[in-house]
Amino acid sequence: MIIYKPKVIVFCCNWCSYAGADLAGTSRLQMPPYFRIIRVMCSSRVRPEWIIRVLRNGLDGVMVLGCHPGDCHYQTGNYFARRRIALTKKFLEYLGVNPKRLQASWVSASEGGKFAELVTEMTHELEKLGPNRLFTDESGGNGTETTP
Amino acid sequence: MKVGGMEQRLRREAAALLEQGKVDLIIGFADGSLKFTTSPLITSDKDDASRLVINPFIANNLSVFLTGVKGRVGIVAKGCDSRSIVSLLQDNKLAREDVFIIGVPCSGIIDLTKVENLVGRDRDEIDDIVRDGDKVTVTVAGKASEFAARDVLFDNCLACELPTPQEYDLLLGEPTPAADDESKAASQEKINRFKAMSPDERWQFWQNEFSRCIRCYACRNVCPACFCERCFVEEAEPTWVQPIPRWQDNLIFQITRNIHVAGRCTDCGECERACPVNIPLRSLSREMYDIVDGLFSYQAGRDKEAPPLLACYEATDVVDFIR
Repeated sequence: MIIYKPKVIVFCCNWCSYAGADLAGTSRLQMPPYFRIIRVMCSSRVRPEWIIRVLRNGLDGVMVLGCHPGDCHYQTGNYFARRRIALTKKFLEYLGVNPKRLQASWVSASEGGKFAELVTEMTHELEKLGPNRLFTDESGGNGTETTP
Repeated sequence: MKVGGMEQRLRREAAALLEQGKVDLIIGFADGSLKFTTSPLITSDKDDASRLVINPFIANNLSVFLTGVKGRVGIVAKGCDSRSIVSLLQDNKLAREDVFIIGVPCSGIIDLTKVENLVGRDRDEIDDIVRDGDKVTVTVAGKASEFAARDVLFDNCLACELPTPQEYDLLLGEPTPAADDESKAASQEKINRFKAMSPDERWQFWQNEFSRCIRCYACRNVCPACFCERCFVEEAEPTWVQPIPRWQDNLIFQITRNIHVAGRCTDCGECERACPVNIPLRSLSREMYDIVDGLFSYQAGRDKEAPPLLACYEATDVVDFIR
């Protein structure tokens, strides 16, 4: 039996979420090993192009993590990110992309537990959803969103 | 005021503006080379003012030219066009004093394809199309038939809430009323049909549509909101979209374009009109317009003092998607 391992790209902001992820690691919390972290200086650095590119390249989900509102190292970066991601998520959903493939949250430097929880939950959700075939040409180019 | 009266006044005013040196250029509409079309007219010659027209076929959004010309420009603008201009002002792409807006109270633009489909004839076989209030009279081979304006106007005109320019230096006629609820419902028909599909079917739908796309970038080039000097599709490192027009990259191009123009798109419908392979692009741009309106109560081009949508935020912005 082939076990399906959903790959998730997690964009972490340098100041809060990355430290939160670090804390989750150093606390030796149990997490699925299939996610990959990309550290960015701020959650507002994440361009919608990146999110689409992750899905285009066949990865299963994207998670954007930033500082809690009011805690942003750059004062307001996460507010801008929030607007942008809200739009992107709604629009992708309208097109037929399952909204679970793009998630966002706020993780502070002390929330290692929350980080582990978020990543674990998202991985489990994507496991139920099945692999991302949105941009594949297989089966007559059918980009299906159902469980295989 | 009747359309003919507006046309006469426009010609007079345009000639005077050029003569008095108040503007260097006039951007307006002249008769097109094909029947029932108009084409843009950009001129600095006051004698050309007599070629300017206003009729129910002035479809183009001329504000796309504003970022490409120098000097003080007089521009003929319908409601949606004037919102596009305001949107450019918000983005500091224009200075207000450099543009003289000649506002045309619009009562909707006639979609020739709809007329052709209704009468079952080609454009060349149609003798005349006359708009009179809620009725449109189409004459084919000497025989006149009457249609409701609602059946022959462009979808985006049916949804238009501000057909009269709100930002202008000169308004050519009396303000026209906004679309009624029935028209708005009719304009949403395509989008509602799409929304009724399952996510899989929706994705499949766009896959089929974008298999036709030849990536001519007409939608981008006619769009006044697409003003980047270097578009992301032309970036090579990284290559956001592959140069080969496969459906995947065609779709990514259009998704990204819609996200880029979110809060700038005024639902003028130019992208869909420009598309040579008839992809229903307005089903994307209108939905984005509604998403922006729904999430942030923001309509593009309403307030020239307001900051652009994605360059500002509210502490109370939507949070329900945050885990």
